[in-house]
Amino acid sequence: MEAVQKRIRTDGTSLMVRGFGYTFIGLFAICCLVPFLVVLGTSFTNEASIAKNGFNIWPREFTTFAYKIVFENPDLIIGSYFVTIGLTIVGTVVGLFLVAMTGYALQRPDFEQRNSISFFIYFTTLFSGGLVPFYLLIKQYLHLGDNYLAVLLPGLMSPFLIIMMKSFTKSIPHAITESAKIDGAGDFTIFMRLILPMTTPALATIGLFIALGYWNEWYNAMLFLSPDMKYRPLQLFLYNVITSADFIRNSSAASNVPLRDMPLESMKMATAVVATGPVILFYPFVQRYFIQGITVGAVKG
Amino acid sequence: MGNLKRVSAIVLMLVLVFSLAACGSNNNNKNAANADTSSDTSGNTSSNSDTSGNTNAASDSSVDTSEFETISYVVLGDKPKNGQLEKVMEKVNAIMKEKINAELEFKWVEWADWQTKYNLLLASGEPLDLITIGTDWLDTWGNAQRGAFLPLNDLLEKYAPQTWSEIPQEDWEQSKLKDDIILIPENHYTQWVNHGIYYRGDWAKEFGITEPIKDFDTLGKYFQGVKDKKPDAVPYDVNGGTSTFYNGFATTYTDNIELPISTGYANVFYAKSYDERYTVDSPIFNDDFISFAGLMKDWADKGYWREDVLNYKGDTRAALKAGLSGADSHHTQTYKGLRVEMDKQQPGSELQMFSYSDTRGNLISMPITHGGTSIGAHSKHPERALMAYELIRQDEEIYHLINYGLEGVQYEVKDGKRFRPAGYDEARDGFYTDFWGGRVDKFEIPSDTDWSGIGDVYAKYDQIKKPFPYGKFVFDKTTVDPEMTAISQVIGEQLPAILFGKAGDPAAAVNALRDKLKAAGYDKVKDEIQKQLDAYKTLVEG
Repeated sequence: MEAVQKRIRTDGTSLMVRGFGYTFIGLFAICCLVPFLVVLGTSFTNEASIAKNGFNIWPREFTTFAYKIVFENPDLIIGSYFVTIGLTIVGTVVGLFLVAMTGYALQRPDFEQRNSISFFIYFTTLFSGGLVPFYLLIKQYLHLGDNYLAVLLPGLMSPFLIIMMKSFTKSIPHAITESAKIDGAGDFTIFMRLILPMTTPALATIGLFIALGYWNEWYNAMLFLSPDMKYRPLQLFLYNVITSADFIRNSSAASNVPLRDMPLESMKMATAVVATGPVILFYPFVQRYFIQGITVGAVKG
Repeated sequence: MGNLKRVSAIVLMLVLVFSLAACGSNNNNKNAANADTSSDTSGNTSSNSDTSGNTNAASDSSVDTSEFETISYVVLGDKPKNGQLEKVMEKVNAIMKEKINAELEFKWVEWADWQTKYNLLLASGEPLDLITIGTDWLDTWGNAQRGAFLPLNDLLEKYAPQTWSEIPQEDWEQSKLKDDIILIPENHYTQWVNHGIYYRGDWAKEFGITEPIKDFDTLGKYFQGVKDKKPDAVPYDVNGGTSTFYNGFATTYTDNIELPISTGYANVFYAKSYDERYTVDSPIFNDDFISFAGLMKDWADKGYWREDVLNYKGDTRAALKAGLSGADSHHTQTYKGLRVEMDKQQPGSELQMFSYSDTRGNLISMPITHGGTSIGAHSKHPERALMAYELIRQDEEIYHLINYGLEGVQYEVKDGKRFRPAGYDEARDGFYTDFWGGRVDKFEIPSDTDWSGIGDVYAKYDQIKKPFPYGKFVFDKTTVDPEMTAISQVIGEQLPAILFGKAGDPAAAVNALRDKLKAAGYDKVKDEIQKQLDAYKTLVEG
C-alpha cells in the first residue's frame, strides 16, 4: 500500500518536473524562434510600412525589394556562396587534421621536445604583433594579396583549439600507442587508424568551431581580398551591401554618389536571412554529431 | 615542485625580457621610421632634381613618357560591379594613353571598415600613386607626419602646371606640412556642410508661418503645428545619435566657431568667435546653454519627438519621405538632393531648410582640404601620376567620363542639366568612381537630382561666410590623450539626454555635465589647446 503510494507520488513529481521542463524549454525555444521570424517577416516588408508599424512577423505590405537589391547581381552572390562554402570545407578538413595531429603529438610522452614546442605555440597567445605586422606579413612577405589563401591560412590553427585537442587526446591511454607500435604500426598509421577514430567527439566540436569561423569570416577577406577579385566570401559581400547603403545615406563625403532608395531596415534583415539560410538547412543533418560531441566532451571535462 | 617553480620563474623572466625588448624595439622602429622618412624626403627631393635634370638634358622642357605606366588611384567607396566602370575606363585610358602614355586604374577602399584599411594601406608602404585624402575625416595630417605622402613642391610646376597655377598661393599654404606640399586640395568645388533643420514648407504655411524659419522659437511653433494638426506625424522624428541641436545652439545662440578637435558625439572645444579664433571656449560653458536645455526639455515634454528618442534606431529619413515626420536634419549637401526627392514622394511639400547660420550669420567655410589628392610616399612614378591627375582635373572630356560616365548611357544633357536617359536602369547602367579628390565647378554639369534653387542658398552663404581659419592647425593630443578619451566618454553619456530634454531638471543636468567634464580633465585639455593655438597664431600671423 505504502509502496504504491510512493510510486504515485514520485510519478507525480516527475510529471511536474517534466511538465515544467517542457514548458520552460518550449518557452525558451519560442524566445529563440520569434526574433528569427521577425527578421524573416521584416525582410519582406515595405520600408515605409516598417517606419509606420515597426517590425512584424507578418509583413503588412509585402515586397521583395530588399532581396532584389541584395540579389541585384545574382552571379555575384552565388559566387560568394561558393567561395565561402569552399573555404569552409577546405579550411575545416585541413584545419581539423592539423589541429588533431598537433594536439596528439604534443601530448605524447615519448616526444621529447613537446614542452618547448608547446611553449612556442602558447607564447603567441600572450603577445601578438598587431595589425600592421600581420598585414605586412601576408601582403608583402607571403604575397598573398588577392589570394584566397590569405583567408584560409590564418584560420587553420589556433592555440586555443590545439590546447583543447591536446587535453582531449591526453585521456587516451599511451598504452594504446605503445601496443600499436609493438605490432609494427608507424606513427602516422597510429594517428590515422587508432587515434583519430577515438577522438571523434573532440573533432566534431573543434570542427564546428573552425567551420563557424570560416563561415563568418569577413575581416581577413576585407583586408586582403581587394574589390578587384570578382568573388569574395559571402559575409564580406553582405557586409558591403549594408555598409555602403548606410554610408551613402549618411555621408557628407559621398555627396556625388546618386542617392538611391535603399530599404535599409528590410535589407539588413534580408542579408541576415541570406547568411543564415543555408546553415539552417544544413544543421538538422549534423545536429546528431553535434549533440554527441558536446555530451561526451562534457563527461571528459 | 621546486622544478616547477624554477620553470615558472624563468618563464616570467622571459616574458618580462621579451616585453621590454618589444617596447625597446618599437621605439627603435619609430625612430628608424622617422629617420627613414626624413632621409626619404631628402632622397626624393634630390632624385627629383635628378630626374628634372635628366629630362632637361634629354629634351629641354618636355617630359619623358616613352615608357608605358599604370597609375593607381586609391578612392573610397564600393567598386561598381555591373561592368560599366570597365567600359568608361576603356575610354578614359584611350585618351590617357594618347596624351601621356599611361593608364589609370582605380583601387577601392570599401566602406567595410574603411578607416582600418585606408590607414593600413598607407602604413604598409605599398607603392600607391594617387590617393584620396581629407584632412578632416581621413587623418591626413597624422598620416603625413608618419611620412605616408610624397612632398610635391618641386614636381607640381613641371608635371601639373595648370593645376599648379590654378590653385592660389594661400590654398597651397594650407596644403603644406611644415614646408612640404603634401596634397592637392579640392579647392575649386562648391560644397557646404552647413547644418540645419529641414521642415515642410506646405505644412508651415498651413500653420501660418509664412516667413522662412530663422530661429528656434519659430521652429517650436512649427513643431506645435504638426503636433496639433498632423496626428499621424511625429513633429521631428529623430534618433538620439543626432547631435544637431548642439551645433544648432552653438551657431544660433553664440559666436563660437568649431575647432577641428573631435571629442566624439559632439565637439566640446570651440573658439570664442571668428574674431577671437585663437581663444578656446566651449558652448557647454555658455550661460545660455542652461536656458537652451530648458527649451529642449519643454519640447520633449510637449512630445515634439518620440518618447524613446535616445534608444530609437529607426530610419527617420524614410519617415519624413513617408509623410510621418515633420522635420529632419543634416547639412546643405544632403538638402539639395532630398528636396527633389521630397517633391517627388510628397508632392507640394516644398521642403525648406533652416540653416543654423540664418540666425546670426555665424558661418565658416569648409576647409578646402576636406577633399584632395596626395601621392603615396612609395610611388614608383610620381611624375606620371601627377600628369594623370592634371588630366582628370583639367581635361573636360576625361573629367566628364570619370565623374558622370558615358553620355547617352549614364547621362544626357538638356538645357545645361544632366538627366538620366530614357530606359536608364540603376542596376544595369549605374556608374560612379567616387572621385572626390579634385572636382572643379567649371566642368560640373548640374543634375536634375539637385534642387534648382540651391544656387540661391549658396549665394546666401557666400554673403556671410568667413574663411576656414584652421586649415593647417593639427592638434597634437599626445599629452592629453587620456583626458580627451574621458571627455568624449562624458559627452557621449550625458549630452544626448540634455539635447533631447530627457535629463530631468535642465540646470542640474547641465551643471552635472560641466562638473563631470571638469573632473575628466577639461581644464588641462583646454590649456593644452590654448597653448597650441597660440603657437599656431604666431605661425599664421607671424
